[in-house]
Amino acid sequence: MSAAAGPDATADVLAEPVPEWALELTGVYQHVGGNCALAEINLRVPRGAWLLIVGPNGAGKSLLTRLILGLDTPSAGTVRVLGEDLQGLSVRAMTALRGRMGAVLQGGSLLEHRSVIENLLLPLRDLPGGRAQQARAARLVIATLRLDGLENHLPRALSLGQRRQVELARALISGPSLLVWDGLTDGLDPAAAIETLQVLRAQREARRLTLIATDNRADALGEACDCIAVLERGHMAFSGSPSELAAVLPERLDLRYILTGRP
Amino acid sequence: MAADLNRDAYDRPPRAGTWPLGWIEGLGLAALALRRCLGLYLRILVGRGRLDLPAFAWSLRQSGLAILPAMTLVGIVVGAILGHQTESVLERFNLPGLVLLSINYALVMELVPLLVGILVAGRAGVALAVRQAALSVRGEVDGLLITGIDPLTYTLAPALLAMLIMSFAFAVWGSLVTFAATFLWLWLVANVPPALFLDSLSGALGPDDLLEAILKPMLFALLIALIATVNGTAAGRDPLNIGEAATRTMIGAVTIILIADLAIILLVRQ
Repeated sequence: MSAAAGPDATADVLAEPVPEWALELTGVYQHVGGNCALAEINLRVPRGAWLLIVGPNGAGKSLLTRLILGLDTPSAGTVRVLGEDLQGLSVRAMTALRGRMGAVLQGGSLLEHRSVIENLLLPLRDLPGGRAQQARAARLVIATLRLDGLENHLPRALSLGQRRQVELARALISGPSLLVWDGLTDGLDPAAAIETLQVLRAQREARRLTLIATDNRADALGEACDCIAVLERGHMAFSGSPSELAAVLPERLDLRYILTGRP
Repeated sequence: MAADLNRDAYDRPPRAGTWPLGWIEGLGLAALALRRCLGLYLRILVGRGRLDLPAFAWSLRQSGLAILPAMTLVGIVVGAILGHQTESVLERFNLPGLVLLSINYALVMELVPLLVGILVAGRAGVALAVRQAALSVRGEVDGLLITGIDPLTYTLAPALLAMLIMSFAFAVWGSLVTFAATFLWLWLVANVPPALFLDSLSGALGPDDLLEAILKPMLFALLIALIATVNGTAAGRDPLNIGEAATRTMIGAVTIILIADLAIILLVRQ
């Protein structure tokens, strides 16, 4: 479980072999404006595992989540999500795959001119099931994430933390197998962060929700974290379990500096 | 993956306006957008898709109610100007039948369709480009994509439908208002007998001409909508590009309308 340094160094983020991978990144490169923003990223995440991608600002975390969500196409390498190679997917297949994924994006992605409830119901828009069923699903996530009373608000009337929670509710409403969360603790106060983690834990127990989250802090997921990947300037500096990270930290000054800001 | 508008267009926006790559990319994006849009209309027709009604209502406001006062005023003013010019010509050339016939033909076949096109471009086209660009900048396009919804459902699809409907309506309304203004000027100010004006009108326009006069603004609306989509998408995620998308759309749309009109004159009418 060492830092992935080349194509053969693909890091299995859990020790035991698991037949199904929720995410497989192989030799992924991404160039932005002529610069190499991500280089030689290799990563595999089994279903049901929780991966935290940590790194300083500009490390490439958001870029990586966009590749995983199929919002950008990598310059090189392959991205497989829930067993599907994103590069070879038709538009229809990509839409179907996105129906099995949920996402909370760092910059926000709510429709600004639609109310909270309308935003929540977006993923169910083209799915079978009547309005009553959709309303039930919406009520459930609203109650779970304590968004009661905000249903008819427009996103601009919400605080950053509330917007993030609405985005999470929208991501969870269709019961995804994979949740991608860019900027896990952004805008959340400690109490909201703890409550949110509890909701996610319940989802994990109920249906093996795989979580891929990014943050600046290595302890953002607490004990629930199965694996950590550390990004620095587009390179994978480390990937492995939290205990492995703790073991190598005394020797790896670079990691210590990235994670703590102190040499 | 070549036809994935969402990823290839929204995330690597075309270099709008740069020759030749930007133009080629723009044309490709316009073709893809049109194909996806027609596919959505087809799905709606067979009951397997839905038009987003709030977005459609917004588009109708932008391309309909918002333009109606301007269209009416412009129609009255242009009609009055035409009436005045016709009066001047009639003072020099006493060929009222021929002069009125030319005026009526030009009014219905060229003037009103171009006016409708320019007004639709200025209001609905620019609004569509700005909406598309703002959706990208604010991350709303990403939000739609990750929830499995084609962003065109909220942008081009309702806007194009609204622009087609309203262009048809404005072609009729604009012709009526302009005609009325010209007619009233010539009758009340220039003392041209109403019967002469109406006779020349029936002689100037056949059914084919009327069909062309109605269809032309709708073709312009299609071109405007596609130009707005390409320019709105080209704004990428930079807020500064929203204004540029609006300007490019206005200039591009007016230019393409005139070129299309010339092409119709040269190709269809011959």
